Amino acid sequence: MRRNRHAYFFLFPFLAVFATFWLWPIVNAFYISFFATRTQPWVFRPEANWGRLLVDPAFANALQNTLILMVIQVPLMIALATLLAVMLNSPLLRARGLMRFAFFAPVVVSEVAYAAVFRLMFNTDFGVINKLLGSIGLPELDWFSSPTAAMAVIIMAVTWRWVGYNAIIILAGLQSIPQDVYEAARLDGVSKRQQFIHITVPLLRPVIVFCTVLSIIGSLQLFVEPFLITNRGGPGGATETLGLFIYRQGFGVFNFGYASAVAFTLALLAATLSVLNIWAARERTA
Amino acid sequence: MKRTTVGAFALVAGLAMPQAALAETEITVWSWNIGASSLAIDMPSFKEAHPDVTVVVEDLGVQQVFDRMLAACAAGGAGLPDVVSVQNRRAEVFWSQFPDCFADLEPLGFDDAMKAQFAPFKLPELQANERTYAMPWDSGPVVMFYRRDYYENAGVDPASIVTWDDFIYAGLKVQEANDGVTMTQSSINGDPEFFEMIANENGCSYFSDDATAITLDAPACAEALDVVRKMDAADLITDGGWTEKIQSTVAGTVATHMYGGWYEGTIRTNAEDQSGLWGVFAMPSISEGGARAANFGGSALAIAANSENTEIAFEFLKHKLARPDSQVNMLMQYGLVPSLTTALDTDFVQQPQEFWGGQAVWADILKTLPVIKPSRGTPFYGDATAIMSAVQIKYLNGGYDSATDAVADAAQQLSLATGLPVE
Repeated sequence: MRRNRHAYFFLFPFLAVFATFWLWPIVNAFYISFFATRTQPWVFRPEANWGRLLVDPAFANALQNTLILMVIQVPLMIALATLLAVMLNSPLLRARGLMRFAFFAPVVVSEVAYAAVFRLMFNTDFGVINKLLGSIGLPELDWFSSPTAAMAVIIMAVTWRWVGYNAIIILAGLQSIPQDVYEAARLDGVSKRQQFIHITVPLLRPVIVFCTVLSIIGSLQLFVEPFLITNRGGPGGATETLGLFIYRQGFGVFNFGYASAVAFTLALLAATLSVLNIWAARERTA
Repeated sequence: MKRTTVGAFALVAGLAMPQAALAETEITVWSWNIGASSLAIDMPSFKEAHPDVTVVVEDLGVQQVFDRMLAACAAGGAGLPDVVSVQNRRAEVFWSQFPDCFADLEPLGFDDAMKAQFAPFKLPELQANERTYAMPWDSGPVVMFYRRDYYENAGVDPASIVTWDDFIYAGLKVQEANDGVTMTQSSINGDPEFFEMIANENGCSYFSDDATAITLDAPACAEALDVVRKMDAADLITDGGWTEKIQSTVAGTVATHMYGGWYEGTIRTNAEDQSGLWGVFAMPSISEGGARAANFGGSALAIAANSENTEIAFEFLKHKLARPDSQVNMLMQYGLVPSLTTALDTDFVQQPQEFWGGQAVWADILKTLPVIKPSRGTPFYGDATAIMSAVQIKYLNGGYDSATDAVADAAQQLSLATGLPVE
């Protein structure tokens, strides 16, 4: 008891900061999610926000966009990252350090700067992408006016930014696979492709699961890309993610109660997905 | 050790000195684009009356001012400047959510006599909780700004464009006669601005005048949305918002811009070398003999409640907005349409403008003012635009059977978001 008291004395600065800046906002946000906050004064009316969630097409749209992004972008990026890692690990590769840095570099670039560059690249009239498409005889696209094309831009942008980061983590995993496994396979006459499918991928599984979990959480929180590249989730909300929707409800139209309710729904979704991931990973190790 | 102390002392003294020298008052103002430019002119006469006051105008951009005002008000007013610019249609959300963030101008001297000098439709959005939070600045009578040469190439006489069907027919001819030119421009995929202007012209708006009901589910709104669809289906609209519109104006790739009168200054100052090539005509109407006027945009100035200089800030507001001379100056230099009605009786309005090919554009723009039907922004304008832009793109992509279905769905969604009944 006495020892505990001392421990809490020393923990107090952290606990105080934690309680003020983490715990209290979380509790308070949960509290105001039960209030109708459209106009002053706020009144207690749980169905105003939690009821609206169930029938709001704008919320359904944001949830759908977030899930589409997650389901398409995460597997695409992890597959690319794995391929990239294998290539970066190749003994044939020259200037290895430079290559690894080059693929990692996008993470270092400021989000605002890279968003501006992507916006320019995909500009309908002056963008380099449309010039390229035109030069090989393909039709030019109005990237930011078509809902599908805009979503594709977001997927490409996020993939470009994070694929190298994941590749470096997977590369570390690759290098921890003992060489004698491959040597034995070679002696048994196993082809390179079969080595990749039957040795590399299974032994990489824990690393890939780790990258997938991180990427899923990242895609649930996606905000900067649709905010800046497709101009606040445009066209007409076609790339509005849950993160953007919360921002719009809270800081666009001042409906903090509803924003809190959506935020807690998002947290619940993230928790569910994490539990599923842990469960899936445990299944395999058992 | 001693040296550091001396150094630190010198630093403190160095910092303190300029402040001591500037014992005078500084008024900071947040604004955007030509609005910011127009607030910075006419200062010598203000300086004469208030020699110890310096006014600093920060040009932040329209969305940035809104975002920063909101963040500041949510933080109890921390970080607000003395004076902020606020768009009329997005103003009410501040008064309703943060009743104490901005100063009541009435005790500062904004009395009934002074209010009576402004266009009456500007005031309801600036008043709430029995206070007046802002002083009207400009208004936005909508007109069509067009390239004379492109219309001539196609043999189109703007005087012959009376209805929106005429406009679409003319647009096809203009596009055929001018390679690489699109008839008009709007970010119809992310912004219902064209719908809002045409609906206002057609006597329809999101909310009732007293902001207690949703009036979007009406034939007049469906007709307006259908005009947007027809223009889009005829490929007369190229995508683009504020920045893209300026780019295309400079590059000469768009033949017509539909915007509030305040866009006059933006075209004139950005495309100086196109003098004589531009002209103005009235909005087409939905049916022959229908209304040909709408209001889009227009702003006001408010004072932060926590400003230490509310009285001097109010003097600044009066100097810029409540004097005909100043309002006429802003009109002449930047094309901002005064909402101070006494400023409209100036000779300048009747003068032919060289840039506009000798047309007396201001006479043509301002004569629509009395016909404009006010449309209230309400505290829910942000919800309305977001819902309408999503519904608009769905409608343009064939997601509804008819414009009537589209506006009915938008009205239902808006009712859900705001809690107001659909009328």
